[in-house]
Amino acid sequence: MNFSILTNNMDMFLQGFKVTIIASVTALIASLLLGAFIAVLRIAPYKPLNRLGTTYVEFFRNIPLLIITLFVYLVFNFKGITAGTIALTIYTTAFIAEAIRAGILSIPEGQMEAARSSGLTYSQAMRIVILPQAIKVVIPPLGNQFINLVKNSSLVAVIAGGDLMYQADLISARTFRVMDTYILVAMFYLVLTIPLSLGVSYLEKRLAKSN
Amino acid sequence: MIVFDKVNKYYGDFHVLKNINLTINKGEVVVVIGPSGSGKSTLLRCINHLEAITEGSLTVNGISVSDKKTNINKLRREIGMVFQHFHLYPHKTVLQNIILAPMKVLGQTESQAKEIALKYLEKVGIADKAQSYPSQLSGGQQQRVAIARGLAMSPEIMLFDEPTSALDPEMIGEVLDVMKALAHEGMTMVVVTHEMGFAREVADRIVFLDQGQILEEAIPAEFYENPKEERAQLFLSRILNH
Repeated sequence: MNFSILTNNMDMFLQGFKVTIIASVTALIASLLLGAFIAVLRIAPYKPLNRLGTTYVEFFRNIPLLIITLFVYLVFNFKGITAGTIALTIYTTAFIAEAIRAGILSIPEGQMEAARSSGLTYSQAMRIVILPQAIKVVIPPLGNQFINLVKNSSLVAVIAGGDLMYQADLISARTFRVMDTYILVAMFYLVLTIPLSLGVSYLEKRLAKSN
Repeated sequence: MIVFDKVNKYYGDFHVLKNINLTINKGEVVVVIGPSGSGKSTLLRCINHLEAITEGSLTVNGISVSDKKTNINKLRREIGMVFQHFHLYPHKTVLQNIILAPMKVLGQTESQAKEIALKYLEKVGIADKAQSYPSQLSGGQQQRVAIARGLAMSPEIMLFDEPTSALDPEMIGEVLDVMKALAHEGMTMVVVTHEMGFAREVADRIVFLDQGQILEEAIPAEFYENPKEERAQLFLSRILNH
């Protein structure tokens, strides 16, 4: 392995790395919020909302991210990176909603009953009593989804998103050092995902202790 | 204050409550007893609309509980509830458990709510546990916190759903003592329990429920000395003579 690929193209790698981070973090925050919202839709005591939530999840969870990405890009005519981040959010939201829903359902029904019987509204009870407890249960599966999200962001490359994978495609096409380039890119992804893994297990331990 | 008028409730085909007529007056302590599965808890849970009635009318302070136009959250402020399994919020301290609803529902400030919370913690005898988490308390202590949590809303009615059934025998007394004190202060209480000693001593009226029907309604002395219904006689002989 020759590291001159890295040193000669450092600016491109770093540019791609930056774009990947921005796309991942944006999609992560957005899909966490949207996912929580969809999860609540799925379990709210109102059938039409349940159906809406279920339709969202079943639809976007069951089509390839690549198709969503191309669709958002071609139909809305956004820049590659914008379209990619939106597609990533739409897709990841479905999985996060399922994880959060499972977490909410794991909280004993009595918690909601106690909260409602004291006069809190459904949404107050959800926000103040149920979700803070559910989030602890949900941290490990959410961690998985976040790691998937970072890796899935590589699909942004197909619509010229300017991310790590896209830069790697350019570099390897120019230098013909295909293996070297992609090994380096894999390392860049590890730099992102390993701390994410560690962060999640740290959170998991800390929250377990507070119980 | 609480009026059941020809109330029926079904779970699918299962007829849980059958033609319930019952009036509970202000300041009264009504104890509901009966075999398990007889609908005691369901009856209680209808009062604050944790369960919906299927037919008939149920009013609290003249307000229909089942009417869609009724603001149920507002009605529930007046009705405290204590559960068999306490249902304290495990991620909040004792104090936070108690001040939550007064702040969010009644709009009290934190300092107001804390002052009131401490007063009730004092009353149930565990003011020193204010900063503890529920998991650090014994069952009896948790249930006393749950009572304080209900009282902090200054409700007119307190509902107790088998409040001592999940407790170690040693802890039962401390919870019953709190409930007795409350009854003597004139709180309107509806209590589902198997504690016959408590029922006998504190209740103004006993309601005996079997298979969803009120079979007998009497003052404790009358009910225990001379139960009229055969089913009630059998029930009493089984639980008193063992």
